[in-house]
Amino acid sequence: MITFEHVGKRYPGGIQAVSDVNFHLERGELAFLTGHSGAGKSTLLRLIALLERPSRGQVLFDGRNVSKLARRHIPYLRRRIGVIFQDHRLLTDKRVFDNVALPLLIAGVSFGEIQRRVRAALDKVGLLDKEAMYPPMLSGGEQQRVGIARAIIGRPPVLLADEPTGNLDPVLSEQLMNTFLQLNETGVTVLIASHDLDLVRRLRRRVLVLANGEIIDDVAAGPGSTSGARDG
Amino acid sequence: MARVRRSGREVQASSAGLRAWARRHAFSLFSSLGNLSRHPLGSLMTVGVLAFALALPLALQVALVNLERIGQQWERLDTLSVFLDTGLVAADVDRLVSRVSSWPEVSTVDPISPEQGMAELSQQLGLTEVADLVADNPLPWVLEVSPRSTAGRGALLMRLDQEAGVANVIVDLQWLERLDAMTELLAQFVWLLGALLALGVAVIVGNTIRLDIQNRREEIEVMALVGATAAFIRRPFLYTGLWYGLLGGLLAWAMVQGGLLILTGPVEELSRTYAERFDLVGPVPEVIFVLVAGSGLLGVIGSWLVVGRSLAAMDS
Repeated sequence: MITFEHVGKRYPGGIQAVSDVNFHLERGELAFLTGHSGAGKSTLLRLIALLERPSRGQVLFDGRNVSKLARRHIPYLRRRIGVIFQDHRLLTDKRVFDNVALPLLIAGVSFGEIQRRVRAALDKVGLLDKEAMYPPMLSGGEQQRVGIARAIIGRPPVLLADEPTGNLDPVLSEQLMNTFLQLNETGVTVLIASHDLDLVRRLRRRVLVLANGEIIDDVAAGPGSTSGARDG
Repeated sequence: MARVRRSGREVQASSAGLRAWARRHAFSLFSSLGNLSRHPLGSLMTVGVLAFALALPLALQVALVNLERIGQQWERLDTLSVFLDTGLVAADVDRLVSRVSSWPEVSTVDPISPEQGMAELSQQLGLTEVADLVADNPLPWVLEVSPRSTAGRGALLMRLDQEAGVANVIVDLQWLERLDAMTELLAQFVWLLGALLALGVAVIVGNTIRLDIQNRREEIEVMALVGATAAFIRRPFLYTGLWYGLLGGLLAWAMVQGGLLILTGPVEELSRTYAERFDLVGPVPEVIFVLVAGSGLLGVIGSWLVVGRSLAAMDS
């Protein structure tokens, strides 16, 4: 589903965020991306959703090289990728409902359908009773879950999460990870950047370790890897 | 990515695609209205500025139209007053009238007897006893001759002057020509002012939209992140420009109508002193349509000019 071939990204000013990254993520796979802060995790995720363009190398999405995708095609690529941002990127002056509905409004889905699917997504992240609130009225964890609801509402085949458990307590982190595992069970390809090594190890999924802009380790999923279905 | 390619165009032939397209437009429309109503004071002030800018040329245009109407009412004064020798009897006058009427350059000849002239004079002076005051009616017969066209007026004047029994021919047209020239000048001025202020409308709307885009930078970025096309992001701002333009045009119209309402009384007073019947007319529907639609279009153009630039600047 996602393939990186000798991908490098140098920002203006000479900062080399990613130097030579190679990996392949199968359709329906779930993997973690770890590494100390500044290792290039966020950049790597941004390269997939074309929030950045690689300076060199190729990023393949669903078998197609997206590095040179024309600007006008980028929105359609982004609709196939749900992104969960570390800083949520919610619209503070719009209600939770409208925040989650945004991708469907953009796609031109009918209002009845929007209502049904937004409620379903909010239900999934446990925020059905908060739909009329504004994001600043919610806790950090709740805002994060609104971001997840927005990312999954368009039923994208790929989900990218940048430090989704960044400022959550262990219990919430665990719940959140279960949400991702459940989504993965339904066939969604998931890539999660996280520095919560304990949590990552416990789940025994594939782990890509990033350091100095390169993948220095690729740990395959261990036996008895947890499945979202187990914890429900 | 095959699907990505295929859906690269927003408008799809299928009816489902068309419905989605219509829904996206409806969303843009309502979200632009929502944004206007969220900041009522700011929106109202922008609309107010536009209305003031538009009301000025509209008011001048209305003034011009009314001035031209007054001119037309006075066009009937565009006749030659032929004063005949005193002492002519009605039969002589009749002969003269029938002869002058047969001239090809003459449209109508209207004889005014000394008695009629005296009555008219009395009425105009507001004195009923003028006739009593003046024992002997000193007024001569007068022929009001309307030329068929204004062009041959000079030659007609000469010919009438040479006619036997004609004392003199009075023509006071200079002021009418001046009025014509003045209204012509004013018309040019209205056009010039209209063009300038139309440009002003586009600039005002453009600048307002530019600030709006800066204020909503975060929202625009988030929309782009979740897959909004440039057209989708641009559209609410174009609608906003349209609303500003339309509302500004409508308010300008309302302002001018209000002004006319205020002026109706005084104008009636004035026309009464002239013993003339004159009503102010407001802008005709065509002018109102051009004003409102044109202002709406200028709003869209103004926002179009800045939206592309501002969004591109944000993207880099």
